[in-house]
Amino acid sequence: MLYKTIGRILKYGALISTWGLILTVLLQIFCRFTPIATPSWTEEASRIFFIYAMSFTAGLAMKNDYYVHLDMFYNRFPQRFQRFLVKAIPVITFFLFGVMAIYAIQFIVLGVPEQSPSMGFNMGIAFFSMFIMSVSICYYLWIKIKKNFKNPNL
Amino acid sequence: MIWILVIVFVICLVLRFPISFALGLACLSYLLVKGTPLIIVPMKMYSGIDVFVLLSVPGFIMAGNLMNQGGLTEKIIAFCNHLLGHIRGGLSLVNIGASMLFAGISGTAISDTASMGSIMIPAMKKEGYDTGFSCAVTAASSTVGPIIPPSVPMIIAATLSGLSVGKLFLAGALPGLLLGIGLLFTAYFISKKKNYPKHKRSSLGEVARGFVDTFWSLLMTFIILYGIIGGIFTPTEASIIAVVYALVIGKFVYRRLNFKNIQVVFLDSMKTSASLMVLVGFANLFGYILITEQIPQTISSEILGFTTNKYVVLLLINLLLIIVGTFMETIAALLILFPILLKVALAVDVDPIHFAVIAVLNLIIGLTTPPVGVCLFVASSIGKISIGEVSKAGLPFLMVSFLVLILVTLFPWFSLALPNLFMD
Repeated sequence: MLYKTIGRILKYGALISTWGLILTVLLQIFCRFTPIATPSWTEEASRIFFIYAMSFTAGLAMKNDYYVHLDMFYNRFPQRFQRFLVKAIPVITFFLFGVMAIYAIQFIVLGVPEQSPSMGFNMGIAFFSMFIMSVSICYYLWIKIKKNFKNPNL
Repeated sequence: MIWILVIVFVICLVLRFPISFALGLACLSYLLVKGTPLIIVPMKMYSGIDVFVLLSVPGFIMAGNLMNQGGLTEKIIAFCNHLLGHIRGGLSLVNIGASMLFAGISGTAISDTASMGSIMIPAMKKEGYDTGFSCAVTAASSTVGPIIPPSVPMIIAATLSGLSVGKLFLAGALPGLLLGIGLLFTAYFISKKKNYPKHKRSSLGEVARGFVDTFWSLLMTFIILYGIIGGIFTPTEASIIAVVYALVIGKFVYRRLNFKNIQVVFLDSMKTSASLMVLVGFANLFGYILITEQIPQTISSEILGFTTNKYVVLLLINLLLIIVGTFMETIAALLILFPILLKVALAVDVDPIHFAVIAVLNLIIGLTTPPVGVCLFVASSIGKISIGEVSKAGLPFLMVSFLVLILVTLFPWFSLALPNLFMD
């Protein structure tokens, strides 16, 4: 249930941000070719949509193994060591994004007193994207870790 | 202290950590040992992604995937078959020609090998071509994609150096064409020697119908380039225009897009882009550490202490990039090495645009360089033969690629003619 809900939140978050990004850039282009003055906030808004789109999909990319790696040495390792690596890599990566998630909170706090230059919103909102990115990657890593440790073949 | 960064990165790569995470872990280890506040991790990740021109990366990926969903690959192959199929070894020429046309749509070599290979390798095998040759042609031709505009590696190079994306796009066009033409001739001579089959000549009507079928996709590349070069759009705006254009063509001309598969394509493109952006974010942190440790300056002065001859320096850089390109993904290698090597190149008076083309060309040629070129792996797995056989069959193509690299390195005209003509 939680797994599906998180997946859905990330999916719809990514799609909304993507459409937001497309529409904002289109507005920017549209205004340039019409007598309507281009709003000053379009560039900033499109960057925010983009960062949020990337943050929402970073976890989904983890879930579907989109992150590229080198296979050339791995295949030469003994099978036992390969099995160990399959278990160890998500754990170590979880540590990396866990640290990032913790410090992302500090980053958000740092952004609270700041205001975005053209839109005037709290920068903590923009920095919150880094928390979403790290936590969503952590979540799918956690699922992978649980699966790996339950798998009798590993 | 910097050794921690390098050692952890190399160990993580060897142990099969994803490249972006290897970079992140190396940076984290360095920061922990150095005692730097770790808030710098999310900070640098954010500032690395918060760059307007990077918005064009998901834009171009989305446009390419939307066009592909509309059955573009098959249409381009059919058109090239009408044009080139009647020449000896027709299908191998179709393979290369289609990659050159498809280049404007896809932008990454590995995806070109996979999408072209899944159609062309079985078709070539069926007509009696050697499997090794079929795989080698597919792998070699896919390297044309990332250099012919719009090119994702060129956008990354522009982001790292502050160069104009439009100029870099134009700079890659002639070397890309040169590479494509070189590969076409090589395939033709091999086919003639091995007496590979040819198809009957298509009528003018068939060629015209094939052109009409692919016209809309080719027009997209033209709109992107004309928009950027003509100063009508920024690269980011051009990429979004390309998305809207692909949506309209896919929905109303090719009639293969509906609301459901549009969302699937969007999500898929965003996942690809996100995996790249995590890499970009960590590379930004990596770059920050290298700068604080003055590594670019140190490497630059070491190389320049060894020689100040421009051509020797370029030869050394070419060798390094080819080796790195064989085992590392193009964008990752570019993110890590381009800012360092650019400093060296500038010190010996190499034009930054010329250097960006050299760097990208090296890294993509690395993708088909034995023993571990990634495109060779992809092609061999589609053709179900050993990588050794593909590598052997691919040697003539590799030689041609090296020849093009030498020409592009020695004669900056190939890279600078079009940017100077259209944008200065």
